[in-house]
Amino acid sequence: MTPAFEKLQQHLKQLPGLGYRSSERIALHLLVEKPARLASLVSALEAAAAAVRRCDRCGNLAEGPLCGICADERRDRGLVCVVEHVPDLVAIERSGAFRGTYHVLHGKLSPIHGVGPGDLNVAALRGRIEAGEVGELILALPNDVEGEATCHYLTEHLAGAGELKTTRIGFGLPSGGGVLYADSVTLKSALEGRRGYH
Amino acid sequence: MRLRKLTLRHFRNAGFAALEFTGRQHFLVGANGQGKTNLLEAAGLVTALRSFRTTENKLLVGHGQHCAALAYVIEHERQGETHVTLKLRHDGKELWCDQARVTKLAEHLGKFPTVVFSSQDLQLVRGSPAQRRRWLDLTLAAMDAGYLRALQTATRALAERNALLKSGRASAAELGAFEQTLAPAAAELIARRGAGLKTLEKSMQAAYAQIADAAEPASLVYEPNFAEASAEALLARLESGRARDQQFRTTLTGPHRDDFHFTVKHTAAKDFASEGQQRSLVLALRIAQAAWFHEKSGVRPVLLADDVLGELDPARRARFWSALDPEAQIIATGTHLPAAELGAWQVFEVADGVFAEKEAVS
Repeated sequence: MTPAFEKLQQHLKQLPGLGYRSSERIALHLLVEKPARLASLVSALEAAAAAVRRCDRCGNLAEGPLCGICADERRDRGLVCVVEHVPDLVAIERSGAFRGTYHVLHGKLSPIHGVGPGDLNVAALRGRIEAGEVGELILALPNDVEGEATCHYLTEHLAGAGELKTTRIGFGLPSGGGVLYADSVTLKSALEGRRGYH
Repeated sequence: MRLRKLTLRHFRNAGFAALEFTGRQHFLVGANGQGKTNLLEAAGLVTALRSFRTTENKLLVGHGQHCAALAYVIEHERQGETHVTLKLRHDGKELWCDQARVTKLAEHLGKFPTVVFSSQDLQLVRGSPAQRRRWLDLTLAAMDAGYLRALQTATRALAERNALLKSGRASAAELGAFEQTLAPAAAELIARRGAGLKTLEKSMQAAYAQIADAAEPASLVYEPNFAEASAEALLARLESGRARDQQFRTTLTGPHRDDFHFTVKHTAAKDFASEGQQRSLVLALRIAQAAWFHEKSGVRPVLLADDVLGELDPARRARFWSALDPEAQIIATGTHLPAAELGAWQVFEVADGVFAEKEAVS
């Protein structure tokens, strides 16, 4: 292969989810098989890089000051679902079950990886709470050690900023699944999170 | 459970070996360095995919090979005949149970219990607290998914808190966030360790009395670093210790600094017990571990005795064998066969990684 090809492949390989083979395949595809696609891909990348930014309010992807969800007047702005990453937001949106708004932290506290509160989108959340627009904060962060610690951090250092109800998303059995195939940790949290029937 | 068949390929010095175990007691006899312990190591790997001799996979794979394979046929109290296959590479392990790939270690742990009696066990009396904690964690986690989960949570939360302390920029808010996660898990560990050691102590005392055949009371004493098994108390302690922890850049309080010790005749065994007493104590502890596994899982562990009796007098040796669970399968190694009065043994002669069955001695 040529030096320029290898350089391209190296850059592709650094992208998440791509290994040596797949980066080679993509490089070959763009340069040899379908070179016509290259120009449109480059311009799409440039256009997206120029246009896409973080929503000022919630941290979601946006092309103006506000993202589509924050700009939507029909969404309940008093209800804020806190998620770790944008794909978490997309997953909840796809469910169609949530009509409130979001707040994307873009990470969770993890001193091991050098992530502190200053690296997270916390200041904007504080601003929203202090402005009094938030009635309930739904913590939809993962239930690992770092996710739980981030929840503790948020509740102790933001909740006091206004009259605020804080809830944690439920962890339990997947819908359509029985108890038989659930692992013991999931079963335990499903039992702990049980609720009254009727 | 009973191990009925064990096949090794490219494991340590064994190029290929297939052993069929009949009866309940099996003895591997041979000179030093022939591969007797390797077979016990292979048998013990089925429990937690950990060797009792090394943490490096590389050492388990035969020289010049890139993959070792172990196949077990097990007669199991609950699952009937079970086939387990374990492949070891330099960089990882693969496990199959009845042809199905097992990817979660937590689901495998404790299903196929074995207990190894090794001369290295003396380290449990004489060695560092870290060695004792590791033994205790493995023993308790093997039969208790709740313990394993608490241990994983506490270990991770502690590592995060320590990373924060090391960074030198720890804010009270961040420390608090990880303490809130650490404290309940740590409190659970303290409670479960206390209860577990109590149970283990009971059967250890009975086994010790039998091996030592003397009126010497023995005990197992838990030394928690922080004695109160309550999340609130531990949380308060972590909070009040922040300044000191920040100075030392590590967490100074918690179950990660726990220890336990043995006593004989009410004095610390580490300092005052004789060699024979110390050896008897760890044998008794292993017997207690086997009883714990059996009680918790309903599965009788296979006992793997690696030339442990060398230093004991003949009377203690005989009493050790009779202190073992009379229904448990025993695979033992040694340079000499055990005395004839200890029942029938299936004997394998081991030379240079080759195992040859000998006619049974009576």
